[in-house]
Amino acid sequence: MRIPILELERIVLVSIQVDLTDNDAMQFQSDLVERVAKIEALGVAIDITALDVVDSYMARVINDTANMVRLLGAEVVICGIQPFVALTLIEMGRGLLGADCAFNLAQALEILKRRIAKRGDTRFIEDEDV
Amino acid sequence: MNTAFQRLQREHRAEILTDWLQHLAAAVDRHSPHPPGLDAQRESLFDAVLTTLAERPNAHDFMLDPDSELGRYLNRLVTEQARQLASPSETVGSLLALKQRLARALLALDLSSDAVVESLLWLDRLFDALSLFAFKAFVDIRERLITEQSLSLLELSTPVLKLWHQVLLLPLVGVIDTLRARQVTERLLEAIAEHEARVTILDLTGVPVLDTSVAQHLMKTIDAARLLGTRIVMTGISPEGAQTLTKLGIRFADVVSRATLRAGIAEALLIVERRIAPLNSERQL
Repeated sequence: MRIPILELERIVLVSIQVDLTDNDAMQFQSDLVERVAKIEALGVAIDITALDVVDSYMARVINDTANMVRLLGAEVVICGIQPFVALTLIEMGRGLLGADCAFNLAQALEILKRRIAKRGDTRFIEDEDV
Repeated sequence: MNTAFQRLQREHRAEILTDWLQHLAAAVDRHSPHPPGLDAQRESLFDAVLTTLAERPNAHDFMLDPDSELGRYLNRLVTEQARQLASPSETVGSLLALKQRLARALLALDLSSDAVVESLLWLDRLFDALSLFAFKAFVDIRERLITEQSLSLLELSTPVLKLWHQVLLLPLVGVIDTLRARQVTERLLEAIAEHEARVTILDLTGVPVLDTSVAQHLMKTIDAARLLGTRIVMTGISPEGAQTLTKLGIRFADVVSRATLRAGIAEALLIVERRIAPLNSERQL
């Protein structure tokens, strides 16, 4: 099943609602990266509120995706990690999830916007070719 | 002195020469235009060969002296052919064609069998030496050509551009190997020092493959540039490249990276506190 990728101006939103198979995870990863490159996104928010279980593979996928997105010049925030999931992730090893985290989507967007503003990235304000 | 070859030189020179040149022309004309002056060069070589054959007895230890008349003519001819990208077999083949014609003419002379054997052996020895010499010269020239070309390719492929005051752009195109990486780093560092660049944009749009070794080279370049006090903005990593790098476990830690050169330029200008704006907004400010 494909994860829908939403665009909010220059911010990309993805919400993972179901447990992903390995193939789905790979598909999600490349879909997201392609989209970020295509629209030259400034920020990406990955919402995992609906995930009750995050295994080490999924954590790795999320982490890798965050790194890829950073290489393409966008900020990343992960939001909605459940307390139980957080506990498991810490049990499995610190730093499993390297990206910044926020409590919910609203906070994630807040952080992203602040960071983008801090970057002082004015290049899209008066963009001619969009 | 070899009387058989002296007779050939006196009586049959023009006939053999014309036959040889016609043979060569027929072989070459199919795929390339006949370069001017080639026939004259071949004629000089032909005369030098005949003279050598006629003047010397059967020298068992004949060595071709590169500074002799014959050596020089041969060298010039081979150089010419190598530069025109003829095949080595064509070059050596033209010599062997001459040998064949000389041998045939020799047999037609009606000499004693001893003299024929002696002369043929001498002819053989001389042309062996000539062929070896020609082949070696050919390979030498080709090698020199290749070295020159790869050098000029290196020169061409690593320009460091001054994009703006204190902003440098290094567009990388093509495969990055150790040699190139080192050269790129050297030039970049020189340019950074010269322009006192505050920001350097490293554009990877033209790098076809991003793998561990390329990433390592890039990291070294970036680290070295940072030591000089410049900030690095990496641009032009494709989505595929980003995926590959991450899956290989390569982390460009805290290097600023942007998807496109445009975004990279915007970022770089921001660092030096400049921006590209429409003309009228400039007036308002």
